[in-house]
Amino acid sequence: MRRIQSKLALAAVLAIMSLVAVQPLMVKSQTIETLQPHFGQTLASVHQAESAGATPNEIGALVGLLNKALELNEDALKLTAPDEAQRRAELVAQVDQILTTVENRAADLTALASQRSYMNKVFTYVWGVVAAILGTIVYAFATSFYRKYRIKRTFQMRVARK
Amino acid sequence: MSVISSQNRRTLIAVFVTLLIICAMIAYVATTPRPREQFFQLYVLGAKHMAADYYPNNDTDIRLGEPVTWYLGVTDNMGTVQLVSILVKIGNQTIKPPDDQQALESPAPVVAEFMRFMQDNETWETPFVWSITDAVSVGGSTRILVLQIDNATYQIQDVSASNGHNFRLILELWTWQTETNAFEFGWIAGGEHRVAWLQVWFNMTSPRLA
Repeated sequence: MRRIQSKLALAAVLAIMSLVAVQPLMVKSQTIETLQPHFGQTLASVHQAESAGATPNEIGALVGLLNKALELNEDALKLTAPDEAQRRAELVAQVDQILTTVENRAADLTALASQRSYMNKVFTYVWGVVAAILGTIVYAFATSFYRKYRIKRTFQMRVARK
Repeated sequence: MSVISSQNRRTLIAVFVTLLIICAMIAYVATTPRPREQFFQLYVLGAKHMAADYYPNNDTDIRLGEPVTWYLGVTDNMGTVQLVSILVKIGNQTIKPPDDQQALESPAPVVAEFMRFMQDNETWETPFVWSITDAVSVGGSTRILVLQIDNATYQIQDVSASNGHNFRLILELWTWQTETNAFEFGWIAGGEHRVAWLQVWFNMTSPRLA
């Protein structure tokens, strides 16, 4: 029994080790170490705003801020000297601040855009019902008018001898 | 006494239901986003902003310190905001180019990288001015040592070509994948991994002698 347990433990350790060994191969990027994970989270929140129906103008403002953060991040990465550490920390703090702003705005946009999309959908379907009612009324008036016209024409007929 | 006869009422109800179905279909089509093809475009233009004049004086032989002007461009047609990165790699004739079928990047060394967030339908174009600042010839083999791109200097390692012929700059498009939180070569659209890359060949036959 103990031998089976030790074999299972060995297999589990081997499996974990192989997973750990494979992980670096799966990460292909050259810059993954340098790019803050915060960027990824912020991008995901912008995607949420987009899928909620935010307009290109609204998204454009967020993209502008994201590119600003990217530039600052690149500037911060260039500061490698020890005496530039403070400036680097300031830039990184600015990047974090911009990304947090973008995340907050994206969250607000998601709420606003989803509500707007929902209302647009409701309005579109309501207009569909209104259009159907109007169409039916027009049809009723048109058929009524046509019938009256036919009756009038019938009574205006004269019998002519051939 | 009813104003509308029962037959007319039935006709009107039928008309109303028909119109309601038609309007509901129109409303559904109007409010449902249409599926579209998702892709990126990657291009490189010459000094005159055209697909020509990639080399100074139309001579593929680049001299030391001679600036070469290109324009790199990417268009996002993915339908969403994307974080894209253009990797600039330098290689020779023998190094493997990217593999379209397997969606594998080239093993050539990375020289520079250009990153940007892009909106849907946006085209991002950036000037790409590069020159070979230092190259050395050792025993018939030319080795590029220093490359300057847009006022930034890059040290190059282990890239040499016989007599300085058939060097190439490889441009690869990488995109940030939110699922894996990492940059990956190419992009995923419709369950398929697609890639975009370009390469421009050049010679460097006038290096300094070691």
